[in-house]
Amino acid sequence: MTLEEFREKVRELKNSGKYPVARSYILPALWIAEKNFPAITHEVMKVVAEELGVKPVEVEEVAEFYAMFHTKPKGKYVIRVCTNLSCMLCGGEGILAKFSDLLGISPGETTEDGLFTLEVSECMGLCDGAPAVTVNEERFLKVTSEKVPEILRKFGWKG
Amino acid sequence: MERLLLRNVDKENSHTIEVYIKGGGYQALKKALKEMSPEDIIEEVKESGLRGRGGAGFPTGLKWEFAAADVKEPKFFVCNADEGEPCTFKDRVIIEKDPHALIEGMLIGAYATGCRYGYIYLRGEYPIGRKILERAIAEAYEKGFLGENILGTEFSFDLYVHSGAGAYICGEETALIDSLEGRRGEPRIKPPFPVNAGYLWQPTVVNNVETLANIPLIIERGGKWYSQIGSPDCPGPKLYAVSGKVKRPGVYELPMGTPLREIIYEHAGGIVGDRKLKAVFPGGASSCVLTPEEIDVPMDFPSLAKAGTMLGSGAVMVLDETDCIVKAALRLIEFFRHESCGKCVPCREGTDWLVRIVRRIEEGQGTEDDLDVILSVSETMENSFCGLGMAAHNPVASTVKKFREEFLKHIKLGRCPFRSGQ
Ligand SMILES: NC(=O)C1=CN([C@@H]2O[C@H](COP(=O)(O)OP(=O)(O)OC[C@H]3O[C@@H](n4cnc5c(N)ncnc54)[C@H](O)[C@@H]3O)[C@@H](O)[C@H]2O)C=CC1
Ligand SMILES: Cc1cc2nc3c(=O)[nH]c(=O)nc-3n(C[C@H](O)[C@H](O)[C@H](O)COP(=O)(O)O)c2cc1C
Ligand code: SF4
Ligand code: FES
Repeated sequence: MTLEEFREKVRELKNSGKYPVARSYILPALWIAEKNFPAITHEVMKVVAEELGVKPVEVEEVAEFYAMFHTKPKGKYVIRVCTNLSCMLCGGEGILAKFSDLLGISPGETTEDGLFTLEVSECMGLCDGAPAVTVNEERFLKVTSEKVPEILRKFGWKG
Repeated sequence: MERLLLRNVDKENSHTIEVYIKGGGYQALKKALKEMSPEDIIEEVKESGLRGRGGAGFPTGLKWEFAAADVKEPKFFVCNADEGEPCTFKDRVIIEKDPHALIEGMLIGAYATGCRYGYIYLRGEYPIGRKILERAIAEAYEKGFLGENILGTEFSFDLYVHSGAGAYICGEETALIDSLEGRRGEPRIKPPFPVNAGYLWQPTVVNNVETLANIPLIIERGGKWYSQIGSPDCPGPKLYAVSGKVKRPGVYELPMGTPLREIIYEHAGGIVGDRKLKAVFPGGASSCVLTPEEIDVPMDFPSLAKAGTMLGSGAVMVLDETDCIVKAALRLIEFFRHESCGKCVPCREGTDWLVRIVRRIEEGQGTEDDLDVILSVSETMENSFCGLGMAAHNPVASTVKKFREEFLKHIKLGRCPFRSGQ
């Protein structure tokens, strides 16, 4: 998406009449950015601020606060491995280590080819399928170490 | 027990409006709009005894009465679908499998309280739920259940989904409202309660997903019928989300007040590998731990409060004899440190201190004095600004009190005697 296309999307959003005040469109606008850009950069934030008539710093505050918004570039696929209690009890930490091992990156990092970002996640509400992993919007439940390479290959991992 | 909240979830395409209507869906809305006044509905809900399923157990009928009494316009109706409490996944089942029950409940609530606009505040981690809800809302508009002059009456209501983006604190209703206003989620002082000053400082009703899913049932069959299910002083069916070391993790619908032992051993199938039960958090990460001797407690608000813990979100987290209690406490307090919004000192500093001390103990570097420090930090955190800080120390302080020997063992051995997750 180009910045101009994004600007158009934010305008459309604002014309939807969903909220009585412009400010409330900040999160939905940032979601459009999150899905269409590798990172929510200052340029992106500036577009949001201009279109919604709020200060850039007000947009930045929001973008920085929420864990699912990336202000630093992320990979094409964001892998989230839950290590909260039920997943931890069922081996989530081992799964995280396996991903980390195979991809050669630590949690929080992105592979050099820009394909994968690995993240430690808090509970994703999939605890009946612990340990749980998501890749972008897809879920993987009761994940075992053996299944990790399979998951990665599905998204173009060549290892 | 007859399945009530989960009556639809096993049907094929249960999330579609056709299936919902075929099973009697939207009849309650018709009855409410055509045969009942807003006051009648509030009376019915009061009579049912329904208490909020978001965790605090506030009487829903009373909340609606307060909202209806406020004359400021417009009023907003918000469904709290943030479901952030670790190991809670009950609302997810309704959102994904029976979204129209939630929408119908909201419509009835909005009519009863005079709300013109509604938002479902959905956690960012539920993208599948978002698609399902948006589709369900579009279907409801198409059938004339949403929009202007619903079913030919004076009542109009517009409904939207608002996605959060990964912040536990936004489940706290005033932080949620901040987030809906396009801000960082930071709790506001209560009172004023949202029913009088919520979204844009206008009257706003905030109710949990499961709370709202009960409403069509109450309108269809009556408050009196509902009040006879489960515990007399907090009746109704309840969704318990069971996870951790049980054979059949999942969401179980049972009468409020079902004993914890029955939930773990009968419904969830007992402990993995038939090992011994070690500990249970009965109401999510914010609740105090229970030992195997304490699991005959009825799972309802007053009984668990009497047992020194809480029902909270109804998330039952089960640990077996091979799990390390110190490690479990550490993981939970790490969660709270990560999620503390940083606005007030007891919580911001307290969660950080607790992480450092518990980690030290888990790594074998702790001392016996650390245990006293934990309890004193925990006491200070009671004075936090919002529910997050007030409860964050519970999993740590309660494990130190009830599993002191295990903490001491770490200290004496200079290492963790367990390895979790095997
Ligand atoms: N479901 C989940 O994922 C989570 C649930 N929780 C639960 O949240 C609970 C704490 O929630 P809070 O909202 O802080 O509790 P609270 O007791 O302040 O409020 C409960 C509800 O009653 C309303 N209320 C209370 N007194 C009122 C009055 N006088 N007038 C009008 N309305 C009134 C509040 O607005 C709110 O909607 C904890 O018990 C915990 O179990 C905590 C974290 C996550
Ligand atoms: C830190 C914190 C997080 C919360 N998270 C949620 C949540 O995810 N879902 C929810 O329904 N209530 C949550 N609550 C409780 C809400 O503040 C509020 O009490 C509830 O939404 C009211 O709805 P009810 O009366 O239908 O239970 C949370 C409270 C606190 C203090
Ligand atoms: S208790 Fe914690 S989450 Fe609540 S206002 Fe204070 S710092 Fe923020
Ligand atoms: S603890 Fe991992 S999804 Fe809930």
